[in-house]
Amino acid sequence: MENEYYVCTGCGLLCDDIEVELEDGKVSKVNNACLKGVARLKECNRPAECRIDGAPASLEDAIIEAARILKEADSPVLFGMGNSTSQAQKNAIEVAKRTGAYFDDTSSFCQGPVVEAILENKIRTCTLDEVKDKADVIVYWGADPSNSHPRHLSKYTYFPRGKERQRGWEEDRTAICIDVRKSDTATICGDKFYQIPPQADEELLNALANGLSGKVPKVSFGMGPKKILELANMLKKAEFGVICVGLGLVYSLEEIEPLVRLMDKLNEVSNFHLIPMVGQYNMRGSNHNLHEETGYINRVKFTGNDVEHGAHCSVVELLRARTVDAALIIGSDPMSSLPGSIAKELLDISVITIDPCNTLTSRKAKVSIPAATAGSECGGTAVRMDGVEVEFKAMTETDRMCDAEILERIMGEL
Amino acid sequence: MTNALEIYQLLPKTNCKQCGKATCMAFAAALLSREVVVDDCPPLKEDKFKENYEKLSEIITPAGEASESGMIVHTEKCIGCGNCVVACPVNVAEDPYGAGSGNAPTSDNVILRVEDGVVRLSNVSQCRRFGKNKILCNGCIVTCPTKAIEFV
Amino acid sequence: MGFGQFLKAPEYDIKIITYRDIFQSTALESSGCGDEYAERSAVILLDKGDMKKMVLKDGRKAVLKNNFGRVVVHLRPSDYDEGHEGIGYMTNSPWSNALVSSETGGSGVPKFKMITASISDAKDEKVTSFDE
Ligand code: SF4
Ligand code: SF4
Repeated sequence: MENEYYVCTGCGLLCDDIEVELEDGKVSKVNNACLKGVARLKECNRPAECRIDGAPASLEDAIIEAARILKEADSPVLFGMGNSTSQAQKNAIEVAKRTGAYFDDTSSFCQGPVVEAILENKIRTCTLDEVKDKADVIVYWGADPSNSHPRHLSKYTYFPRGKERQRGWEEDRTAICIDVRKSDTATICGDKFYQIPPQADEELLNALANGLSGKVPKVSFGMGPKKILELANMLKKAEFGVICVGLGLVYSLEEIEPLVRLMDKLNEVSNFHLIPMVGQYNMRGSNHNLHEETGYINRVKFTGNDVEHGAHCSVVELLRARTVDAALIIGSDPMSSLPGSIAKELLDISVITIDPCNTLTSRKAKVSIPAATAGSECGGTAVRMDGVEVEFKAMTETDRMCDAEILERIMGEL
Repeated sequence: MTNALEIYQLLPKTNCKQCGKATCMAFAAALLSREVVVDDCPPLKEDKFKENYEKLSEIITPAGEASESGMIVHTEKCIGCGNCVVACPVNVAEDPYGAGSGNAPTSDNVILRVEDGVVRLSNVSQCRRFGKNKILCNGCIVTCPTKAIEFV
Repeated sequence: MGFGQFLKAPEYDIKIITYRDIFQSTALESSGCGDEYAERSAVILLDKGDMKKMVLKDGRKAVLKNNFGRVVVHLRPSDYDEGHEGIGYMTNSPWSNALVSSETGGSGVPKFKMITASISDAKDEKVTSFDE
């Protein structure tokens, strides 16, 4: 069979074996993608409208108005990026440089610290293709891919046959889940599910490191040394192990160090890698692109040729401290994803959104610019959760503009 | 999981042959494979079997929903993760480098594939739970995160 | 009918753990402002024992309240095999985010996974809408 395959932009897994059927120039059927991917690749129920101050406007006017707001703002911020192509991200960085803006992305309150540690070579990583071909021990920690990245286990980690894993999952692989709740993924892992209380992750990381060093591992919650050693031994015996780190683990750690220490320990006695369960399809791309430009993965401010970096440049602190007076938000919906007490600050500043769909943020925005959906309506490149660059092409034609082009046009007006 | 014996226990057990089968046990087996429907047993509709009739109707979901091998997909629960597609031994045998390796199926002979975000069955007669040499394979049941696949 | 109906709705303290649900995320992809998204998000799942203790009934609504916000959501018993006394589960959404602390200690990362709130019967109040 000769098939044309497309890439799904539904999540950071960027599945590259998607088949589509078109009807009247629209995606009518999506095969091989999961439910989440199908929802992403088919048109949204409420596409964004082009509006200025709530009134319908032409794209031309909206772009001019957006540029005016950014130019006149004392202290603008550009934010979002996780659902944008790499080209759009690079263009956004240019806009930020030109306007002396803050620049941050969603990784700032998601997987940022982990990706940073990987890019700085503090943590050993590998590609998902290597996992498929070699991994025998797969750990999901604070992650529930069955709901966040539905094809993670079937496409790369647990179920597929790989070069050195030919005998199938029952014999060749072990999947372990560590979480505060018995998630769908935990159910699949069966008796390899280790339930821990909220905020106990650091304790378990340390206990495992101790167990691997031959000390008796102790924790303050109901998990005995025997059980911890059993887990530590499974990790130790791995020929090729991988820890897939979810937000559950990231959020419960004050600092990334305990995780780095466990990874170091694991690599003394075994062979372990780490992959961050990056949510949005090109969140990691944004980290890479900014890193290339500035040496930082997120949270920066451009002033002339200088780049300032730190937590105070994060979108959350900028809003909390009311440092910014305008925001250009690209492919993100902070009104629903940030704490309400922080998101409400967006109501007091001039907000511009670029998004394919109507969101809580776009509806409150001063300027809302509709964009084509990357993946179905426009092509580009993106960086998969494991750092591999993936190129994708459009499935349909559209008269909506891609976010990269919209940003270029805004740049032209500055 | 239902078996023929359980179904038999709920039948009149008179071997009256009104259904066209030689014995109630044969009818039970036919029910299980969805060859006949509960209503094909006339005595069951009598008042004294009312409870059994209702129970059976509950166990034996109408044909159409279930495939010939007794496989039912609760599409409303399916998330299209493809775990069953990749784990199914028939899929692996028929399409080792496509479905069996986690990718889009490249063979028309696979049993399970994901279309429009939910699993779709084809060639069910190839299912290992079907036919003369059937075994109690459960590759697609234990790998499903949402219990969307069931055999009756 | 318990005593609950005669008293001012009693309040209990709970911890809330947030999680992701694919059906909810799918509804978000289709439309973050749609009804289905609200139906799937504005829900808290409680331990069955807790529901009994707090005289809260399946299918009713609850007020969740703390220093940062207040929301009315649907109330349902969870179907986990093991009990989870004192802990309620909610999907990540504007409803759970309304209760997340604005304190970050300057780190730039809100404490999304550490929510404590009081819970009480919402009587006749409508589920909070972010979609006015
Ligand atoms: S797992 Fe992610 S990339 Fe793959 S089909 Fe589902 S949403 Fe798309
Ligand atoms: S394993 Fe279950 S949820 Fe996943 S595709 Fe198969 S039936 Fe659907």
